Amino acid sequence: MFDAIGTRWQIDTVDPLPPEVVERIAARVEAFDRTYSRFRDDSLVSEIAKTPGTYRLPDDADDLFGLYRRLYEATDAAVSPLVGRTLETMGYDRGYSLRPEARRAPVPSWEDSLAFSDGELTTLRPLVLDVGAAGKGYLVDIVGRLVAAAGVDSFVIDASGDIVHAGGDPIRVALEHPRDPGKAIGVVTLANGSLCASASNRRSWGDGLHHIIDATTGLPTERVIATWAMAATGLEADGLATALFLAEPQRLALTFEFDFVRMFANGRIERSPHLDGELFL
Amino acid sequence: MNTQRAKYPFAILTGLTLVGALAGCSTAAEGDTGSTADGGDTSSTTAPDASGSSTAGSYTDGEYTESADYQSPNGTEKVTVTVTLADGVITEVKAVGDGDNPNSKRYQSEFADGIADVVVGKNIDDISVDKVAGSSLTSAGFNDAIEAIKADAAS
Repeated sequence: MFDAIGTRWQIDTVDPLPPEVVERIAARVEAFDRTYSRFRDDSLVSEIAKTPGTYRLPDDADDLFGLYRRLYEATDAAVSPLVGRTLETMGYDRGYSLRPEARRAPVPSWEDSLAFSDGELTTLRPLVLDVGAAGKGYLVDIVGRLVAAAGVDSFVIDASGDIVHAGGDPIRVALEHPRDPGKAIGVVTLANGSLCASASNRRSWGDGLHHIIDATTGLPTERVIATWAMAATGLEADGLATALFLAEPQRLALTFEFDFVRMFANGRIERSPHLDGELFL
Repeated sequence: MNTQRAKYPFAILTGLTLVGALAGCSTAAEGDTGSTADGGDTSSTTAPDASGSSTAGSYTDGEYTESADYQSPNGTEKVTVTVTLADGVITEVKAVGDGDNPNSKRYQSEFADGIADVVVGKNIDDISVDKVAGSSLTSAGFNDAIEAIKADAAS
């Protein structure tokens, strides 16, 4: 168990991981954070925010930006990595001021501001990238690959609700009630895949202020309050958990293969028909 | 007796503009009224037992729910109407379509199952699970900032 990127991680394996593997994981997580975190001064994302230009990104950027582009298109631009500046002006900034400014910055469109190809990112204006929609799930995948590369083929990695399972018996995962952490709204079975959860009200800092915003309006979402997505990878599951706040699952299903549960502000529940689990209604 | 009970909501509803419009494109409504009395479909009647003693003009208080299929340009769609009666007066009418917004109808497919019931939940301690997926653990920095703001507000 360890803390990284501001959250609690737990890796379950049959045998303890060798210390050198643990060190490798810690270094890899640190490298990821140092690239993508908009919450630290010394990150690449902070550098990009200051000066437009062309930046060489690490190898992991291909999958991350590829996923973001698919989500951007499948949600008609509602999911975007360009929401960083808007979140900052809402108060969700590096110093966690949590005090909204009088004017909320609009979200720039992808086409007008950003190009990514072959590992090179070109920005046409100062851009605050925010990979919060899929970054943590992706990092869980990356850590999973390191564990697998160490010869461990059965493991569970849990980064506070973003879970990847590989090998061994399937696990039962409770879906935490967004309005009552002591309760579960259901249980799903996870085997060789990822489950990621997202809830807007659990990270809220004021009336209508939370971290899941619609890039087409720049406003926080209100209709959906919690989502759970199950997909082959943490990258996809995490991104889809965010997308399910902003788009209809039927539409996302044209592009992605996944199962889901989501809960609306009025208490209504929606689920995919082949979900391996039960809901407590 | 059951069919009689189930018919009341629609008898009442036709007097409303809202449902007048729904009934206009809802030819199956009358047929469904019969089937829901058998507990079919998504309908549920949570009214206290409305016995046959009810007569026209005197309705038993409670909540009445009916579902009906109707034909739209997208094919067959469903609408569920819930009416709440208190002292013989309609105090609330809720009509829920297949999707929550017009967009969802554009992508109507078999993929999503909407469940109208409000989720009840179970205590996590009472169920056997390996993991919990939620977002109760947020970043330490975030939580600290929230606490600081609460302290500011209190002082």
